[in-house]
Amino acid sequence: MESLFNEAFIGLSLASILLMVALGLAIIYGTMGVINLAHGQFVMLGAYGAWLLQTTFGLSLLVAIPVVFVVVALIGLGIERTIVHRLYRRPLDTILATWGIGIVIEQLVRAGFGSDSRYVARPAFLEDGFLFLGAYVSSYRLFIILFSLAMLAATWYLLFRTEFGTKLRAVIQNTEISRCYGISAKRVYALTFAYGAGLAAVAGALVTPLVSVTPTMGTSFVVDAFLVVIVGGVGSVLGSAASALMIGEASAWLSFLSSETTGRILILLGVIVLIRFRPQGLFPDTVRR
Amino acid sequence: MNKGFTVDCIGYALFAAFVLLLMPWMVDFSGYELNSYARYLALGVVAAAVALSWGTAGILNLGQALTFGIGSYVMAMHLKLKASASQPGGMPDFMVWTNVESLPWFWEPFRSLPLTLAAGVLVPVIVAGLLGMFMFRGRITGVFVAIITLSLMLAVQLWIINEQGWTGGENGITSLAPLELFGWSVDTYSLPFYYLAAGCLLAVLALGLVLIRSKAGLVLRAIKDDAARVRFFGYDVARYETIVFSASAAMAGVAGMLYCLVLEFASPTYMGLSLSLAMVIWAAVGGRESIVAAALGGIGVNMAEGRLSDLFFDQWTLMLGVIFIAVVLFLPRGLYGLLDGAREMLSARTGAVRENAAGAGKVVPPTGVASEGKTD
Repeated sequence: MESLFNEAFIGLSLASILLMVALGLAIIYGTMGVINLAHGQFVMLGAYGAWLLQTTFGLSLLVAIPVVFVVVALIGLGIERTIVHRLYRRPLDTILATWGIGIVIEQLVRAGFGSDSRYVARPAFLEDGFLFLGAYVSSYRLFIILFSLAMLAATWYLLFRTEFGTKLRAVIQNTEISRCYGISAKRVYALTFAYGAGLAAVAGALVTPLVSVTPTMGTSFVVDAFLVVIVGGVGSVLGSAASALMIGEASAWLSFLSSETTGRILILLGVIVLIRFRPQGLFPDTVRR
Repeated sequence: MNKGFTVDCIGYALFAAFVLLLMPWMVDFSGYELNSYARYLALGVVAAAVALSWGTAGILNLGQALTFGIGSYVMAMHLKLKASASQPGGMPDFMVWTNVESLPWFWEPFRSLPLTLAAGVLVPVIVAGLLGMFMFRGRITGVFVAIITLSLMLAVQLWIINEQGWTGGENGITSLAPLELFGWSVDTYSLPFYYLAAGCLLAVLALGLVLIRSKAGLVLRAIKDDAARVRFFGYDVARYETIVFSASAAMAGVAGMLYCLVLEFASPTYMGLSLSLAMVIWAAVGGRESIVAAALGGIGVNMAEGRLSDLFFDQWTLMLGVIFIAVVLFLPRGLYGLLDGAREMLSARTGAVRENAAGAGKVVPPTGVASEGKTD
């Protein structure tokens, strides 16, 4: 019983990290159709941001989160305005261009900070854990779960309860007509890309106490996050959340039942079959386009 | 004979001259350099493979390194068995270290060279054929093809790393024997080996061009433009897509075998995400519409990498990233697009001159007749 709960909890914390990374990706892909392969590098920038703020200014991780959100969002804005906005008519080419952007970011970070692994301490009051139903629950993992739920709620609120969200959804449904109503699609796209990049950075900052920070850490995130977005269904925020939960739990359980590698292989194969039979995703956005 | 075919022939002849004559001469026939150049040629083959499915049929395969890696493992397994012939039971050393009792059944066929060479092409074709049927029968296109191919490649790579006793795991298959071809022990630092690689490249490109210029190639280009319309005409779109997908896998298999010969080992990184995306980018730099241009892209980028990474070390990777971004932004059709654009501008100008000369003296013919004569 303890181990069951343990696996479920670890799966939940995996899922919440995945969700944070995938959420930004889902919004960018859903809005602009851009496959942002540099998303993993935004995660990495967030992680380095947290590390830098902690080692040079002694700032706690909690303080670092809003800072990296703003900084990386601005970087994302810059990238969108200089490069990505030229490619909206060529979605497959965005794969290549953003991969190139990823290489550049990775190399700049490597040149700036070296390739050594960096570690970030978790906030002191989340250092410990407690026993729940006989299983050990790390306070920090619990914090990540709650935080990602909060970000999900915030994103949902942004999309469905604010003026920006209304404009964003209008642009997704029909760019031309929204332009006729005076919505600046250009502005909406730029802000969406920036928000997605910011979310990735927050995810990066959050995982720093759990994994070591290296310039190459981004690549592993981007593949998983992409699987989440595709499985969840394009343009569906809650679908991404559900599929992050599924994939996170599945990897925790499969690694528990066999090995971590076998678990990953099975998930990849599962995703292939799923895409084949439901390319629209499990929870597609039902709005007519 | 259409215009595209003539352009192909001229491009191919120039390319053959470049590869066969100019490149060995450029490096002064030095064995070390020839070995590096043979590596560039192998990578040129795989770039052409990417362009074959991407440029012709619009199928972006982000897992091209999977079939490339299979080719290299097939070759490595043969050479490893040869190197381990003196071991007890002919077992490769890494199997002994991991306590594998007997040689796994799927290693047995690779004792024979003809079977190995056939497998290097056929196994990728079978894998791609099955995957292609699976995907294209479900009318999967675009981004979803990219994600499926990528996922399968990562799954196979993980499996290879995991099954250390059978595959050599993370280390790959190392310390190989030299290949023996018709009694010739292949020295990879020699001119004959370079010509072997060049011959493979040219043969593969010629076959690719034949496919592109055949009727199947025409249907494939139509599929790229509008798959639904081709379907309405009664063509089996999935079958054509599977054919080109498998053909591209065969090319990648050949490239993988060559690559393994040059580097003298096979490693799971051959199926890695970075290499696979790099292949796509080489094809994009050269020009995805022409497999010859894509091959040149593969050769050129790797040649530049060989030269510049010595001079700039880490900054080279940075430059590479910048080049990729620049190519995608400003040269969406690659270097081929640049040439093609120049050629079109030139022919438009000479065409205009000819028309002026013709229109000056004679009576202007009725417009209907004129356009009828021009449209074919």
